Amino acid sequence: MYTTMEEEYRSCPSPSFAAFEYMNINVSKFLKYLYCAGFALLAWFYLYVKNADLMYFLQDRGRWNSTMLFWQDCIAVPGGLLAWLGSYLTQFFYYPALGCAMLIGLWLLTFWLSKWLYRIADEWSFLLFVPLAALLCSIIQLGYWVYMLTNVDYVFYHSLGFFFSVLLSAPFYECFPVGKKTKQWLSIAWIPLIAALFYYPFGIYALLAASIIAIRQSLASVRLLLVNLIVLFLSLLLVPFCETTGSTLMRSDQPWFYGFPVFEIDGIRDFLLEIPFYVLFLFALLFPLIGRLKSGRLLINQGVMIVAAVSMYCFSYACDVDDYNFHAEMRMQRGVEECRWDDVLREAARVKGPVTREMIMLRDIALINRGEFCSARYTYNNQSIPPLPINDSVLVRIKDQASDLIYFNYGESVFAIRRAMERCMHYGYSYYTMRMLTQCAILNGEKDNALKYLRLLSKTFFQRKWVEEMRPYVDGVKPLQESACFRMPLKLYKEGTELVGTDDNYVELTINKKWMYTLTTDPEAQQVALGCAMIMRDQRCFWSQVQRYYEINRDKPFPTHVQEAMLFDVYERKMSGINLSFVKFDERVLARYRSFSDRLRQYVGQGMSEEQIGRALRPEFGDTYMWDFYALRAVQTN
Amino acid sequence: MTIQAKHIFLALVLLLLAGILLFLFAGRGGHGSLPKNYTQSDGEPTIWPDYKGVTIPPNIAPLNFLVDSVDDVVAHIVSPCSEHTYGGRRNGVQIDEQEWKLMLSEAKGCSLAVTVYTKNEGEWLAYKPFSIYVAQEEIDPYISYRVLPPTFVGFDELSIRQRNVENFEETVIYNNRMISEGLEGQCINCHSYQNYKTDNMMFHMRLQHPGTMIVCDGELVFVNLKTDEMISAAAYNAWHPTLPIIAFSTDHTMQSFHTRDISKVEVMESASDIVIYDVKKNRVQTVLRDSAELELFPSWSPDGKWLYYCSAHYEYKGEYEDTNELLENYKSLQYNLYRLSFDAESMSFGEPELIYDAVGKNRSAVQPRVSQDGRYVVFAEGPWGLFHVWHTSAEVQVLDMQTRQLLDTRVLNSPLPESYPSFSSNDRWVLFESRRDDGNYTRTYFAYFDGNGRLHKPFLVPQKNPEYFRHLLRSWSRPEFMKEPVRITPQQFRDKALTEPIRVPNN
Repeated sequence: MYTTMEEEYRSCPSPSFAAFEYMNINVSKFLKYLYCAGFALLAWFYLYVKNADLMYFLQDRGRWNSTMLFWQDCIAVPGGLLAWLGSYLTQFFYYPALGCAMLIGLWLLTFWLSKWLYRIADEWSFLLFVPLAALLCSIIQLGYWVYMLTNVDYVFYHSLGFFFSVLLSAPFYECFPVGKKTKQWLSIAWIPLIAALFYYPFGIYALLAASIIAIRQSLASVRLLLVNLIVLFLSLLLVPFCETTGSTLMRSDQPWFYGFPVFEIDGIRDFLLEIPFYVLFLFALLFPLIGRLKSGRLLINQGVMIVAAVSMYCFSYACDVDDYNFHAEMRMQRGVEECRWDDVLREAARVKGPVTREMIMLRDIALINRGEFCSARYTYNNQSIPPLPINDSVLVRIKDQASDLIYFNYGESVFAIRRAMERCMHYGYSYYTMRMLTQCAILNGEKDNALKYLRLLSKTFFQRKWVEEMRPYVDGVKPLQESACFRMPLKLYKEGTELVGTDDNYVELTINKKWMYTLTTDPEAQQVALGCAMIMRDQRCFWSQVQRYYEINRDKPFPTHVQEAMLFDVYERKMSGINLSFVKFDERVLARYRSFSDRLRQYVGQGMSEEQIGRALRPEFGDTYMWDFYALRAVQTN
Repeated sequence: MTIQAKHIFLALVLLLLAGILLFLFAGRGGHGSLPKNYTQSDGEPTIWPDYKGVTIPPNIAPLNFLVDSVDDVVAHIVSPCSEHTYGGRRNGVQIDEQEWKLMLSEAKGCSLAVTVYTKNEGEWLAYKPFSIYVAQEEIDPYISYRVLPPTFVGFDELSIRQRNVENFEETVIYNNRMISEGLEGQCINCHSYQNYKTDNMMFHMRLQHPGTMIVCDGELVFVNLKTDEMISAAAYNAWHPTLPIIAFSTDHTMQSFHTRDISKVEVMESASDIVIYDVKKNRVQTVLRDSAELELFPSWSPDGKWLYYCSAHYEYKGEYEDTNELLENYKSLQYNLYRLSFDAESMSFGEPELIYDAVGKNRSAVQPRVSQDGRYVVFAEGPWGLFHVWHTSAEVQVLDMQTRQLLDTRVLNSPLPESYPSFSSNDRWVLFESRRDDGNYTRTYFAYFDGNGRLHKPFLVPQKNPEYFRHLLRSWSRPEFMKEPVRITPQQFRDKALTEPIRVPNN
């Protein structure tokens, strides 16, 4: 006999927790709040405490604006409303605490909605957190994929999609004042109706909602199981096909999974990162079944709860990308963009292990702006390692990360534009790239181009302040030289040589090579040229730049590292034809060099390998150019 | 479900629908009313796009515009027989399409007078009226163009679209997202048509599923045009006006970036020749092959008796096609305009005839197009090279073949790049691309070319939402006039692209 959902719900035992009834405490009701608090804490810990920098980064690489064009771009593909809403909400991670609170709020709302709609017993309600934990994992697992994400709405898209799936799976047809028989047919018609009506706004999540409806109805009436499944199958097959016929925005195999995240790069697909989404979809389909779990079986449900809670924690722990450099890079990128040079250097000094080349470049930018490029660079760690692989053996490179920011700060605005534009093409425009393109346009004197981006950025929530800060520079009210962000890039832009070429994807090499050959009379720019010649270990360029430095700064002593490099080059690398009598060496530098040289000979005499010598010399000489040259033999660039 | 729950659900659904409807219809313009009290200004308003004093065809879509930094704007348009008021919502003026059509038909051969009123902080200001002149001659109803971010290397998002300029209808001819995705993008380029009609048309596909998509007498064929004799697959092209023949350049392209110059990019051809392809016979014939000449941009005269092209003379000092050498001498790559006579009977060409010596003026002339009467050649001229869309001093020039003198095109050009010009099928309209708006995003402009050989102030292709081009972060590049829309569907192109292209046999 056919029963409606309402009758089904009514037949469920009342939620009570038999074992505790004698205590007259409704423990089960207390439990669901405990679950909520526990999950909220777990999510807060992973999202905000451990990944606030990531959350800020994700919003910064996102894009939303209030223009009609952005709306039209979003709704042109299935899941368009989710994309628009997701982009809108993602911008709130500008204040990571606010964004995290909103996201966790949405998850808790989804929990209550699911629990209410599916009449899930309090003591089984913890199972509803499994898909939510999967959503949490889907964010914190990203690692270097954040640089490759094509969907700027990623953080909220799936959470919103899941919420709407649950909402749309509600038996709205029960509202209609029609007879039982009609309702029965309505319930079947509801499956294609939901799929057809909501496929474009909610994409694959509308299909998920239709699937949940079919499963729920099949459970309610086994007699109609086959009908429901056939209707579902036809809906899933035909709705995406029909609604995307004529669309030119996707391949013909895509409509059925449009919006489902695929982590694929260089032909390698990382299915591991898709696991949270499989869990999400699977559990959503199980909701009608969870609603049928009986209450009162304390041992079973508590056992399952513990297993689920431990699994959720372990999964979150395993998913969280805890790599220090990954997070430090994001903090340093932001620091450089906001000209917080001290913070960037503090971050660079805090790193214990080897650093990535991008961190080295960002730190060098801070040093250049502080005028310490040639006097403090080797006091920081220059031992480098590649970033964590993003997929199998695929490594992210500086060109994929903040190459535009780095180029801009070296005054290479055209190369910065090139890199920013390539990123826009691959991953879409973002606040970050639009800010970068604005700054480059200002530096190049392309006022109208800068205004275009400022106009769009002013139609967002949190970029308006930045727009107001930039306006005086665009309008020419404030000179660029007075800006902390433009002063050095402008100087390097003006002093740098005009060349025509390409970077062949090697950002660091391109910059260093250009600057070591650059001859300038500007003292600050010349220090950059001298520093780059030291990094590249090119003797001809180094001595040419030393001479240039001497001519510009006759009364000033050479910076510490330059003195070290001169001594090392003449006495260790046996550079001939150099008379060092013109240099007033610092006594401490001389003493350290002698000590370094003595110890080096001693260790070599003892038959130690280069690696062993490097390790042995590091505690005493790790902050010198000599050690850097000797221990970090190969010039590493990226 | 309880009654309360039902109400909540219904309310939620209604809210959602209301929100969607509100967003969809928010900000639409309409008729406004003229302010009763206002201050009269002596000046003309600053409107965007700048349609003041332009000459437009009688079949163009409404010239919607906006005024910056105002709370409200109203435009009063007076035609010889009627007058209408538009605006009244924020800073945009959107004109009713039917009324606009009527006004244009009334004003054919004369002008419309537009008075703009703006409101700021509650105060209305009336500006001096400006005129929009309506020509007698119509413009070709369609244009097609590539839409893409102003990128340099990637091809993730690229489409060729067509726009009915009599209204605002835009459709996709082909979008690369139908076949490729992400970093493995497909490049599509060089769309062209025979005699402005689409039964004979073509465009290239590169990288993913490479080949040339050719529609010949309405039939779709997919061809791999690369033969052993050719430097590369076919590139820049032109349909013969009457025969099933397409002239192509075949070349090696390279791209390099400036470090400071806001021209940003230099595109060079390290080698190039010209060939013709007989679509019906599936045969390639070499037209020009000279290792010291870099021949490009073939273009037929409308009578089919001449093949125009441009060529730069360059002799490698070292190894042939040494790209480093070329890079060092990129400023010396300057192109002149030439033409060859063509005998359709024997399929033979005459000797190159220099028609415009740009190099003598230390300039580089490329992309020639001949007017239907054969009298004028419109082309892009820049300081050097061939990709003038990146050269700030690039401009559109018109050569009078009778006098061999350039016309005065100052009204057409701006301090920012202009490129890729062509004539309409009745010769009265010039179409070109320009970066004058922001220096970075290419837009399509029309200009009236009157019977006396005089060019008039150009105007941006009108959009329904006047803010469209300001918010669009994509370029409209390589515009072409068309008399009719492309009838092959994007899906037909896609399906064809998924098949193996026909190979052209070597000679």
